[in-house]
Amino acid sequence: MEINDKSVKLKRVSRWKTYFLLLLVLFFASVLVSLNMGFAQIPFPDIIQILLKHVPFIGNSVQLTPFQENKESIIILVRLPRIVAGAMVGAALAAAGTIFQGMFRNPMADPYTTSASSGASLGAAVAIVLGFGVAQFGIFTIPIFAFIGCMLSVLVVYFIARVGSRVPISTLLLSGIAVGIFELAIVTYLQTIAGDKLGPLTFWLIGSLSSTRTTWTGVLSMVPFILVGIFVTYFYARDLNIIALGEDQAQHLGINLERLKLILLILGAVLTGAAVAVSGLIGFIGLMIPNLTRLIVGPDHRILIPASVILGASFLVLCDGVTRFLTSPSSPQEVPVGVITAVIGVVFFLFLLRRKKRIDAF
Amino acid sequence: MVNLRIEDIDCFYESSKILENVRFSVSTGVFLGILGPNGSGKTTLLKSISRVLKPRKGAILLDTTDVYKMKTGDVAKQMAMVPQDSNIAFSFSVLQVVLMGRTPHLGRLQTESQKDFAIARRAMEYTGTWHLADRLVNELSGGERQRVIIARALTQEPKVLLLDEPTSHLDIGNQLEIMDLLKQLCDEKKMLIVGVFHDFNLAARYCDQIILLKKGKIVAAGKTAETLTGENIKEVFGIDVIVNKHPVTDLPYVIPISKPKDQRQRSLSVHLICGAGTGSTLMKILTDSGYNVTAGVLNVSDTDYATAQYLKVPVTAEAPFSPVTEKTQEANLAMIGKANILVLTSVPFGLGNLRNLEAAKEAVKIGIPTYVIDEVPIEIRDFTGGKATALFWELKKLGAMFVKDQTELLRLLNISEEEAKLAAAEASSVVSHLKPSEG
Repeated sequence: MEINDKSVKLKRVSRWKTYFLLLLVLFFASVLVSLNMGFAQIPFPDIIQILLKHVPFIGNSVQLTPFQENKESIIILVRLPRIVAGAMVGAALAAAGTIFQGMFRNPMADPYTTSASSGASLGAAVAIVLGFGVAQFGIFTIPIFAFIGCMLSVLVVYFIARVGSRVPISTLLLSGIAVGIFELAIVTYLQTIAGDKLGPLTFWLIGSLSSTRTTWTGVLSMVPFILVGIFVTYFYARDLNIIALGEDQAQHLGINLERLKLILLILGAVLTGAAVAVSGLIGFIGLMIPNLTRLIVGPDHRILIPASVILGASFLVLCDGVTRFLTSPSSPQEVPVGVITAVIGVVFFLFLLRRKKRIDAF
Repeated sequence: MVNLRIEDIDCFYESSKILENVRFSVSTGVFLGILGPNGSGKTTLLKSISRVLKPRKGAILLDTTDVYKMKTGDVAKQMAMVPQDSNIAFSFSVLQVVLMGRTPHLGRLQTESQKDFAIARRAMEYTGTWHLADRLVNELSGGERQRVIIARALTQEPKVLLLDEPTSHLDIGNQLEIMDLLKQLCDEKKMLIVGVFHDFNLAARYCDQIILLKKGKIVAAGKTAETLTGENIKEVFGIDVIVNKHPVTDLPYVIPISKPKDQRQRSLSVHLICGAGTGSTLMKILTDSGYNVTAGVLNVSDTDYATAQYLKVPVTAEAPFSPVTEKTQEANLAMIGKANILVLTSVPFGLGNLRNLEAAKEAVKIGIPTYVIDEVPIEIRDFTGGKATALFWELKKLGAMFVKDQTELLRLLNISEEEAKLAAAEASSVVSHLKPSEG
């Protein structure tokens, strides 16, 4: 036997490691490039110096020039939180997309399937238009309402779709669509009665990472949800593979399918809710990044999840850099990052789709 | 060793009862086939055994443990299931899919070890799919994919293999290959194979035991030869069949009989003098057209005799390879006497059946309308040294009507060509089925 089991296994492991390392390099490159993009011109060496100063332990030995000290706050207080936010939102949406596509066995699913986005919109709209919760939560009101709206909506869909002890996937999809339409109807109504709050509401509904939203406190409060969510998702990577065989087959392989569906749904909702709370609704990433990643690394969720997460993070960080690059004193209105993600992503995705009709699965 | 015991289970979908009081027990090394019409509960039975649909009453015991009290993962280590057809989402490779069979044996974050790869490879070699390892599973043909799914099931290292119509989407070559593979698993690996099948003959050929299900109840169960009888099949499927023993394998061979196309009842009876297959098609056409057909004298080993048995046509029969005796001749003449029409096919004549010509002569003499199909010249098919030829021409002299072939005869009998064609086509398939039992 020319191919022995050891070589097959090693081939897979080394290929996965290569993908992982390449993507990490891509991610750090994206961060650097994005830190460089913006109205104020800051060269790369200066950016690296400033960053090094903020690394624990070695930071004290770094001396900044007056120019660098001047730019320190732009990098650390303006651009970096935005980049961390972009990375977190991109990672969360990509992970949620991977979960929903795997769970529904359908590459058309995305984080906003099963009414997650409309639920978040409704939550935000209620907070903005009716002014609920501002006294208790202050500037966190909208994110908290959006997060809760997302979670509640998905859970309502789950319980509507439940027949006896089972939740058929097709019913879950359909009730998700129905509940979504219902919620959007209410959001539309709230827009008509919003009066002077219509501006803030519309602005919120368009996803953005602009600095009014992405302060360190705001971003850091959502980081735990996203990191824990991604980690737990990885825990269910093999189960997601097995769902691809079909629901009955998954059960025959010893998967507790109904429990798994509930867990995956909650994970998807938490990740989506947390992302939406930070940035509002950013489309495309959750739909395209998992598909794109699948074309590159194959469908095995044990590599697909981490690869999607890193690719999603890198991609959103880069796209947000582009929005800042396009903003100048002559055109101060930022292009919403969702527009950039869609334009760049779709073109690249279609290119890959045409070129790689099929891929080697390892 | 493993024992699977189904104890009086009742299964429901919502409020409709699908299975009622089903009970049986099978052990290692048995190939069990479950047969029954659509909606008889076959698939439901597999689902309840495989821990997907919990029975409301009764229990399913694997050795001595109730499968519904076991952990799902533990059941998956002992039982694997192969579905009718698999639609696998995303582009997984064959090896990836097969390796998924190791899931019940692995911890949540544990990756497959070299041992798991070795087990998967052995399963793939066994099922002849190792060369497909890097192919995408959704690009395989139906037969290849089904073998891959069986390899995946084997990778679970189960003691029981359940299959839900595993061959129903496959062509005949692939059907046999899959069934051979299952039989081999049963014999060599001492696995217990429980499969739902549609094809009686496939099941008869491979299964040691058969369960016949009808409306959720077991009608018959036991050894294949004892269970797959004409009466049981009639009871379960509501169709008439002939169950023959296959002459080579000695296994039951089931031939379904279709209902006559032409329900016109003609009160006329036709007696056929035929043999060596010259009368089979005509027999089928005439019975389908509503004639009461009789035949004789035929040797028991003759193809036309088998056809007559199949069509339930009364026959005056003679023992194999024996010339027509006095007694048989009398019986045949009595049968001819009751017929309205006598037809003589282009059968060859030897000393054994020369008496049939004499019988025809008698019939013409007493005034029974007699048609002689003069398709093959009598001189060619006369193996009696001229006796048959002489008798043959005598018939013409006495007033028998000569027709040049079967078509002309049917026209005279007022049977349309389409009807004849349909019946003939079916008759030829019958004859080819029956060929093995020719003497």
